[in-house]
Amino acid sequence: MTDKIKKIVSQIEIENEDTISNALDQIGKLKDLSDEEKVDLSSALSVLFYHDHAGMVEMIKLANRAEKQIAKFGEAVVPFLIKEVTNADAESAAHLGRAIALNGAAAVELILKAWDENRGDDFAIINLIQTLSYFRVPEVVKALPEILVASKAKNHQVRAMALNAAGRLSQRLHANLLDEKIRTKMFDSAFTLISDNNPLVRANAARALGKMLSKRLLNDEQREKLLKSYNAILGNDEKHEWDYAYIVRHEAERFLPFCKAGESLADRYKQSFKIVSKRELCTKTFHFEIEAPLLAKKLKAGQFIIVRPHEFSERIPLSICGWDEGKGTIQIIVMAVGKTSSEINNMNVGDCFTDMVGPLGERSHVKKHDGTCVVIGGGYGTGAIIPTARDFKQLGNRVIGIVGARNKDLLIMVPELEEVCHEVMLTTNDGSIGIEGFVTHALQQILDRGEKLSHVLAVGPVPMMKAVSDMTKPLGIETYVSLNAIMVDGTGMCGACRVSVGGETKFACFHGPDFDGHKVDFEQLVKRQKMFVEEEQKALATLGA
Amino acid sequence: MSEECVKELSNKERMNLPFQEMLLMDPEKRIKTFEEVPVGYTPEQAKTEAMRCIQCKKPDCIQGCPVGIDIPAFIKLIEEGKPAEAAKKIRETNFLPAACGRVCPQDKQCQAVCIVGRKNLPVGIGNLERYAADYEREHGTLELPDIAPDSGKKIAVIGSGPAGLTAAYELRIRGHEVVVFEAFHRAGGVMVYGIPRFRLPLEIIDEDIKFLERIGVQFAYNMIIGKILTLDDLIKKEGFDAVFIASGAGLPKMLDIPGVNANGVYSANEYLTRIYLMHADKFPEFTTPLYQGEKVAVIGAGNTAMDVLRTAKRLGADVSCYYRRSHEEAPARSEELEHAEQEFLNWKWLSNPVEFIVDENNFIKQIKCEKMALSEPDESGRRRPMPTGEFFTDDCDTVVMSLGCEVNPIIPSTDDEVRINKWGIIMVDESTCQTSKERVFAGGDAITGGSTVILAMGQAKNAARAIDKYVRGKLKEVPNVPTDPNAPGVQWSFAG
Repeated sequence: MTDKIKKIVSQIEIENEDTISNALDQIGKLKDLSDEEKVDLSSALSVLFYHDHAGMVEMIKLANRAEKQIAKFGEAVVPFLIKEVTNADAESAAHLGRAIALNGAAAVELILKAWDENRGDDFAIINLIQTLSYFRVPEVVKALPEILVASKAKNHQVRAMALNAAGRLSQRLHANLLDEKIRTKMFDSAFTLISDNNPLVRANAARALGKMLSKRLLNDEQREKLLKSYNAILGNDEKHEWDYAYIVRHEAERFLPFCKAGESLADRYKQSFKIVSKRELCTKTFHFEIEAPLLAKKLKAGQFIIVRPHEFSERIPLSICGWDEGKGTIQIIVMAVGKTSSEINNMNVGDCFTDMVGPLGERSHVKKHDGTCVVIGGGYGTGAIIPTARDFKQLGNRVIGIVGARNKDLLIMVPELEEVCHEVMLTTNDGSIGIEGFVTHALQQILDRGEKLSHVLAVGPVPMMKAVSDMTKPLGIETYVSLNAIMVDGTGMCGACRVSVGGETKFACFHGPDFDGHKVDFEQLVKRQKMFVEEEQKALATLGA
Repeated sequence: MSEECVKELSNKERMNLPFQEMLLMDPEKRIKTFEEVPVGYTPEQAKTEAMRCIQCKKPDCIQGCPVGIDIPAFIKLIEEGKPAEAAKKIRETNFLPAACGRVCPQDKQCQAVCIVGRKNLPVGIGNLERYAADYEREHGTLELPDIAPDSGKKIAVIGSGPAGLTAAYELRIRGHEVVVFEAFHRAGGVMVYGIPRFRLPLEIIDEDIKFLERIGVQFAYNMIIGKILTLDDLIKKEGFDAVFIASGAGLPKMLDIPGVNANGVYSANEYLTRIYLMHADKFPEFTTPLYQGEKVAVIGAGNTAMDVLRTAKRLGADVSCYYRRSHEEAPARSEELEHAEQEFLNWKWLSNPVEFIVDENNFIKQIKCEKMALSEPDESGRRRPMPTGEFFTDDCDTVVMSLGCEVNPIIPSTDDEVRINKWGIIMVDESTCQTSKERVFAGGDAITGGSTVILAMGQAKNAARAIDKYVRGKLKEVPNVPTDPNAPGVQWSFAG
């Protein structure tokens, strides 16, 4: 020992707060210490841990500083500390243990070795287990099985400490480090001890389980079992026999609220968004039925939803073509145009959407009219007009449906529409079925036969909605169109869906989606829809890549 | 410096210690990354900064804190080298210390009234709060709070922003069962979609959410209250004993000038949401696109404008800020303005946009502004920008309007009993945050029309106290909710 070190050591030995503090300062400044010197200093400092500090605030502070200082000496002093810890009293063992634990992975190995060497010496084992419980490094997981074995020891103090360590580690370690197997083992070991003869062991078992519970390491079944046990301890069950030991009841009371997570209120508001059926309507266009009981209860004609099929996708708005409150399902039609819609069409029965939110927008403008109501659909829009047509019919209106497509293979949802309309007219550009031409030709035919039209709703491609609006405007027929603007949140928060209606800026997501077709600035709408054309191409190119 | 030396420091010596600047990432480097700009204090810096606090007997700083943190006490603990205990101290009154240390406008609150600030720079309270909170998170010293015995009462909190989370915490520890309803697919509200990662890293918010989950707060996502469940549904069908509306100020203000609907013209909300909630910066790995050209014009000079400016810069654009008043009137937090000014941006003060000029495809190509001049201070003491009749035009291919927000109308528009004023702000009794509808309370931006994280939190704390009393049948007073549609929203008064 150099004189300098000797001097410092002698300073520590003088039980005077100022001298010790001064010595700690000096040690902090020392550089290039040999391993031997580090051990000498640790040995001297560890004496501080053995003082009876009751009520001596300054000495407690100094002991804490000494602990940090020893930890800073690093691996060189770990073997010494481990040897020390096996003989230390409770207070000192805690200080020494924390100092060791700050040294990480290599120290875990050394402790396990010491454990082997000290088998039979329960006192040493208790302190070693306590030391293990202070670690935060992933390597300490290795020690868990050994700790769980110790929870079956004869000596109740060993059992109690093993439980303590299991509980503490379950809180300190990242949940990912504990796999299903070890979690089950931890739960089972602790759960058997909740009926131990010794109250300290029972209390520690209740606490260890509580800590695992609060860290969400338990499954539903385990949580259920624990809830029962806690209630039994507190005398809440039909037997009304509470645990006579306060320390056990205290732990049960403390962790009882965490059991509630099992019967979570919020679970009622979780929907699976699982696809229960899928059918192809025409090329690239699919009809999906999806489990969403809350949405099915609230949807109204004309409203829409926003979906995010998976974690990496964008939020896109989709219109609704139907719902079944009894079955708790909703129906959508998706036409693959961009990346996200293509991804949706690649999903199959049993797959779940990550998110789905709604119902968004306002209900369609439905009421009883004098004259006939016409609903016009093009492409995916053919689905969207069905709920509105049904509402019109139920209110006692005469309803005519018009569906347009390029050719007969692209006409969709005709039988479903026929159910909710008095008459359905089909138009195809090539004349392969129904009237040759556009939906406006069908509308003209209705007008030509002298039928009085009171209301027109058009849903589909913008040029179609514009053509219909242009035709009805001079005739003064009330006409609504459903605008499919680009959206992000759907609640009015972002303003991406701005549309110009009658010279005013409106948000399609909550003022719409239905607007007076005679007032909509379609030209701007078309241009705004092309805002991300390049990006959409790029995204599409990554599909399946 | 040892503890003994610290004790010997006189107040004068403490006040003369130099302010500890938090190290910042180099501007050249940081504009290429979304990593946090201030790197945090070293333990030594934190201790030295803590020594600058003179531990006033009657501390003004506590009065200056909307949630009333015991500031001298936590600073003392840092000085004593106990950051974990300091964090615990802060948590007694504020459970989002890591976020608040970073985004609170301390220069307008606690630090503005700090006595040390009379002679020297004020104590870096925000920096120290962040230091303690970061220490706690990094060392895992956070302990779960005591939770009062189960009250059997169920409370619905609408919105998971600062106000919603605070109320959820305060109500949960009082023993109530709390469900937070969130419209988006993740919690955090404006802290996630509106505050950039270089100011508030995502893992900090996630830690706070996890903490709430650990104490038993429940979250229900994809739930737009007013749409999927109305307030009446929550109270009558779902059996909630009280509802707290904290749906925020989510309706962006737009300029009413030609070209406002041009392609490439965003609200700050949309721009930031695309990037921070939907990760458009990682397009096409994430599918949400962001169209951003080479020249970005940002309108406004508040905190959000600074966020947009600095975000656009990090995405590689040449960025300019247009504001109709001058630098001195910029409402941004001084530190944000300062950091932004280091980041190679162009500043167009006293410039009022009058038109967005578009090309044939409706894409923005130029911004036309009128030059402004400041008038003499008016009766409110503020100098108003006056038109000069002089105009100029700049090229740009992206515009972001950062003009503040109005209150989101979804909830009031789906319930007749919740009274709002003519600006859409929900009217409440100022002392209890009760609305005109029975069992319904409101707080945060929904009752002020827009403020800061900490003010929203302060209100939520007050509201939570009142809700706790209410569901226990101890709130007897009849709420006094203004009926005049011209009445302003709640004006903030500091919690004592």
